[in-house]
Amino acid sequence: MKILVLGGSGHIGRRLLAHMAVTPGLVTVSASRGRKPATAGVAAIRLDIRNEVALAVALADVDCVVNCVAGDAASIADGATTLVNAARTAGHPGIIHLSTMSVYGRQEGTLDEDARLDPELGWYAQAKCLAEQEIERYVDLGGYAVILRPGCVYGPDSQLWVGRIARLLHAGRLGDLGTQGDGWSNLVHVDDVCHAVLAAIHLMPNIHDHRETGKPAVFNLAAPDSPRWNEYFRDLALAIGAVPLRRIGIGRVKADAYIASPAVKIAEKIAYHIGLDRSRFPDPLPPGLLHLFGQQIRLDSHRAEAQLDMAWTPYATGLNDSVQSIHAAS
Amino acid sequence: MIDSADNVPQDSRIEADICIVGSGAAGIPLALELGERGLSVVLIESGGHDKDKATQALYVGELANALHSLPDKYRQRRFGGSTAIWGGRCMPFDPLDFVPRAWIPGSGWPIDYTEIATWYPQANTWAETGLCEYDGDTLFAPMFPGFRSELVRTDSLERFSCPTHFGRRYEKRLRLASTVQVLLNANCIGLDREYGRIVSARIATLNGNRFTVSADRYVLAAGGIETARLLLASDIGNEHDQVGRYYMCHIAGNVGTLDVHGPVDKVRHGYEISSDGIYCRRRLSLTANEQRRIGASNMVARLHFPRIADPAHRNGVLSCLYLAKNFISYEYGKRLNDGNADVTTYTRHLFNVLRDAPDTAVFLAHWLRQRTFAERKYPSVILKNRSNRFSLEIHGEQLPNRDSRITLIDDRDALGMQRVRIDWRYLPQDIESVRKTLKVFQQEFTRSGTATLDFDTDALESDLTRFGAYGGHHIGTTRMGDDPRRSVVDRHCRVHSTENLYIAGSAVFPTSSQANPTLTIIAMTLRLADHLARTSSASEAEAITLEEVAA
Repeated sequence: MKILVLGGSGHIGRRLLAHMAVTPGLVTVSASRGRKPATAGVAAIRLDIRNEVALAVALADVDCVVNCVAGDAASIADGATTLVNAARTAGHPGIIHLSTMSVYGRQEGTLDEDARLDPELGWYAQAKCLAEQEIERYVDLGGYAVILRPGCVYGPDSQLWVGRIARLLHAGRLGDLGTQGDGWSNLVHVDDVCHAVLAAIHLMPNIHDHRETGKPAVFNLAAPDSPRWNEYFRDLALAIGAVPLRRIGIGRVKADAYIASPAVKIAEKIAYHIGLDRSRFPDPLPPGLLHLFGQQIRLDSHRAEAQLDMAWTPYATGLNDSVQSIHAAS
Repeated sequence: MIDSADNVPQDSRIEADICIVGSGAAGIPLALELGERGLSVVLIESGGHDKDKATQALYVGELANALHSLPDKYRQRRFGGSTAIWGGRCMPFDPLDFVPRAWIPGSGWPIDYTEIATWYPQANTWAETGLCEYDGDTLFAPMFPGFRSELVRTDSLERFSCPTHFGRRYEKRLRLASTVQVLLNANCIGLDREYGRIVSARIATLNGNRFTVSADRYVLAAGGIETARLLLASDIGNEHDQVGRYYMCHIAGNVGTLDVHGPVDKVRHGYEISSDGIYCRRRLSLTANEQRRIGASNMVARLHFPRIADPAHRNGVLSCLYLAKNFISYEYGKRLNDGNADVTTYTRHLFNVLRDAPDTAVFLAHWLRQRTFAERKYPSVILKNRSNRFSLEIHGEQLPNRDSRITLIDDRDALGMQRVRIDWRYLPQDIESVRKTLKVFQQEFTRSGTATLDFDTDALESDLTRFGAYGGHHIGTTRMGDDPRRSVVDRHCRVHSTENLYIAGSAVFPTSSQANPTLTIIAMTLRLADHLARTSSASEAEAITLEEVAA
């Protein structure tokens, strides 16, 4: 079976390619917009997902395409449109689309895959909702597709949910946030996401959901033992030595998110335009991220357990993996 | 969902799997844990979000003697209960607390320490006291350099909550819990029993609404005094005249003078911060073996400063506190109302403040930053150690005493419930036990050459009773035991004589330990939640179904 991985140089893409490389019966190709080679030993092509013609060529002989593309709104939403069009041209390969829990917007409580989508959370959620609509269109038109909605993907080399959080903890800008950090983290180990992708590839013809309903099969992905954010911050801080952990008042953390972080973001953009090194700027703490820490949303992943045979990486193992990768990088 | 009981239709009946009375440190975790396990819960809370004079007045009662604080003090009749004003000091009970001790009549729990220990880590999380690590020597440097003793422990630790107001902290969780209904302004004025089962809880609001809650099981989580009041008022559980008896607080007071030898910066007398960001403090106590050997009850001592009310301490910070006592709440200002409050005393305190102005200013700045405006608050006033001279702040176990008790009086509150009379008593053995413990401290400090401890044996009783019963710790009024003739609840906190009535809180503690009760209240509550969830009719129905399938 030949698989094309779009976004092969990203965090999930690279890890997925490594898993695929040791999975018998798979021939994988990594596609990425960047110049970096993807994974050693894996065929790689440079490709912009919005280039429909090039994408159709790349898809010509593949059985399944995994869409791990991140980036700006256009890459996500328009990219999904061109992917669907190119896939139709190429003869309807299966599509595994990596979406996000952000499509549930500001809803709280325990949510399964049938919860309504809410694109009001921001540009990212909006783009991801549009992308899911495109995948649904693909199934409407007779294609196979699976949508995976992971929570926060952590584990080795995760910058978003490990590296960035660690830096904010070291800087004393995150810590015990009280009620503002009481939301569920919905952490899912990157290896579990990879397992879900591989399971979805193997099971795709058998997943009856889209056959019967005309919709793609959708799976939430969050480990059932993933803790609340405060607990994750504490555990990570202790593991990386960002101690003593600080209790950060709501006023202070909001000032960071709503005043300091926008200023940092603006300065960062200016620096980019005048050719300065952006990596020297502190990590912003966007208001959306702060909202997430307090959002009491809990993904119900029972469907993935039942149909994708998920065996979740225990939280302690995932935390240890994450910390090891920080230590290895430093 | 959180709603006002005034919005419930008059004379209606609400049904649920579990009805909980009281939304404090026990009621809120219990409701959320049971809701998480799929049970429908009605949580009854007398108050609203804020303190209300008329509601708080429902607590007014009578005192048998001046040793106990007024019944409407230290207790809060509002959402979150007394966690709205607690100090946040947490530590587990000791294994010895749970075993029968021949020298303490009425001691011994029907359950083993390990049955509670399992729940302490989660209890720490609920109380926001960080990790369940209470070994001071593992986390910090020794309390005194060079002090080694087989008899005296310096490694025990207390950890401090923010202090967490459970109502505010967990309000959102309660709002989102789909099977939990919180009713504010709802006063449980009685329980109705038929054939050994509670069939309804009668609810009244101060605005005149009346309705009932009908549940499979009921849990009273209203505190050590109010729980006894409810049982006595409903004539439930008191078949053997046990309800309200064995009422305990703690024996507490400042005694003696401890002079530590060596550098002042090596004495760990104050608060330290653990790596997980929690204020911690060391204590002195006897080892379990030494308690057994000398027949002492459990007790701890903290290194403290001199009596605040006496200006002879010449300390500006303490004098500042004394002068500000009228602006400090009753619960925290009680110990400042001591001795003569004449013009001379005030003048001497004022003089201390002026003479010690720089230190006082530094203290006030620290206090504002680390307490007033901080979310995790600096727990209490601690003075910089300049002289290595301390008093010992004692917090000791009280022996169970059946004559120390809560009863009802004829006077009734606005809802027609009989008010309480508190007759708190201590025994000579309580004082003697402290004396024996201090003697061992004295002997061990002298032997090790680390410090010298002096205390006046003759003044010990007055020192320990100057402020009466330790406020806020209301223990033992529905004690746990296997024998219904000598206890009110069984090992699962179920009232012996009633099939479906349980009690959560320190009322069930047969003995009071050295520890402040809140952490153990939460741990016991989590244990109760687990028991209720595992034995719920829903769980049993599911088990039967599975058995049928298997068959």
